[in-house]
Amino acid sequence: MNFPNNQKPLLVLAALLLMSSLLAACASTTPVCGSPQSRNLSSAIDGVQTSLMNGCHAHFDRYYDDLLSIAEGDPKPENKREFSEFLVWSSDKGLLSTRQAEDYYNRFFNVKFMSMRGDYNNCSHTCPNKKKVLFDMERELGDKERGLLKVSRDADGYYRADQLYQEVELVLEATCSACAAGR
Amino acid sequence: MKMSVNRFTLCAGIAAVMLLGAQSSVANSPTIRLFPTTVVEDLRQTGNVARDMETGLQEVIGRLDQQQELYQESKCDGADNDSGCQRLARQIGATYLEMLTIMEERLPDMEHTVNNTRDSLEKGLRNELGKKMTPWKLQETLIGGKAAQATAQKAPTLRGRSGMRLSERFNQYYKLVATSGAKGDQSLAVLASDIYLDMEETSLLIQRTRQEIARATLMEQLNQSFGIITPEMIEVVGGVKSILFGDEETQALVAGPPPGSIEQAYRSPLEQ
Repeated sequence: MNFPNNQKPLLVLAALLLMSSLLAACASTTPVCGSPQSRNLSSAIDGVQTSLMNGCHAHFDRYYDDLLSIAEGDPKPENKREFSEFLVWSSDKGLLSTRQAEDYYNRFFNVKFMSMRGDYNNCSHTCPNKKKVLFDMERELGDKERGLLKVSRDADGYYRADQLYQEVELVLEATCSACAAGR
Repeated sequence: MKMSVNRFTLCAGIAAVMLLGAQSSVANSPTIRLFPTTVVEDLRQTGNVARDMETGLQEVIGRLDQQQELYQESKCDGADNDSGCQRLARQIGATYLEMLTIMEERLPDMEHTVNNTRDSLEKGLRNELGKKMTPWKLQETLIGGKAAQATAQKAPTLRGRSGMRLSERFNQYYKLVATSGAKGDQSLAVLASDIYLDMEETSLLIQRTRQEIARATLMEQLNQSFGIITPEMIEVVGGVKSILFGDEETQALVAGPPPGSIEQAYRSPLEQ
């Protein structure tokens, strides 16, 4: 198609306008991923679910942290169930894998430590990384303090986790020493 | 009447089946073998050897205490040229040598039984907890399948072991191990680890003490000619007393967890 020379600048201008309007249209659909406003855990979860379904799934970690902070404001044993149901929903919607959902839940609400897992025996797997395992467990104990004690008011659960950490420390010291002596 | 007899037979049959089932489930439940009879016997033997050493040393250490008291009451500190004080110092030195000789005689037996216990426990820990278990399985063993109830149990260990007689310590270990059948695997794993680490430490201590005894004996034989009490001598006697007879002041008190709520029946489908 041939255009007269004097019309070419007009065409370029029209093309530029079209592109900028397209870009503006894209920008207007960017989701606003703000933190939940309600201080009520159920309402906050509803809000977060809506945001997650509207394209804010990349902010999952921050939302989970926000929800924990909100729950800390009203600690009760039922909060465990709220978090569990929220994570099961997230897994069902494909926002998290089942493994991720389990990790999120157990790290905060279970007595056992997710940082002490593995498919191989303790002599070959845990002992060579004993320092790191214990360091990770200590950090996880901090998360359990938040989930079990501050969110769910499950003092027994938290103190059992703390006791388990101390027992693991003692048993690993002895077991790893025995493993090293047998080499 | 016939019907009630039949019902009784049926109930008895069900009860028998349930009992058999329960028995077989107990028999099939995996148990960890950390305390074979050899370990129990080794612990008892170590306790006996420790008691013999204590009995032998008690009289000598008592005499040393009296002599030291007399030395201090006579204001002998700093009066090295006084012939009476020199005589007292020589007596103390001779008793000190006697203590070292008794220890030299008894320590090999002690070392032998301690090492035997340590080696048996080492083998058990390596095989049962080190090679047969994954980290997750170890956690499950320690928690004893009671994670859901999350009940804080009384620790069965003797952590903070100082403050009791050596023979009493072994006697307590022996009792704990000998009655361990009634306890769960979780207690056994912690108990075995605790005893093993203690034995390792004790073995090292005995080894070092034996090396030191030879040196201290030579030093004291030299000091005898001068009639001097060295600060090292007093320190060694104090150390032996605290190891053998305990030191009440160092007894550590472990605080228990505060009472928590028991309203945590919820179990998530995500829980592992």
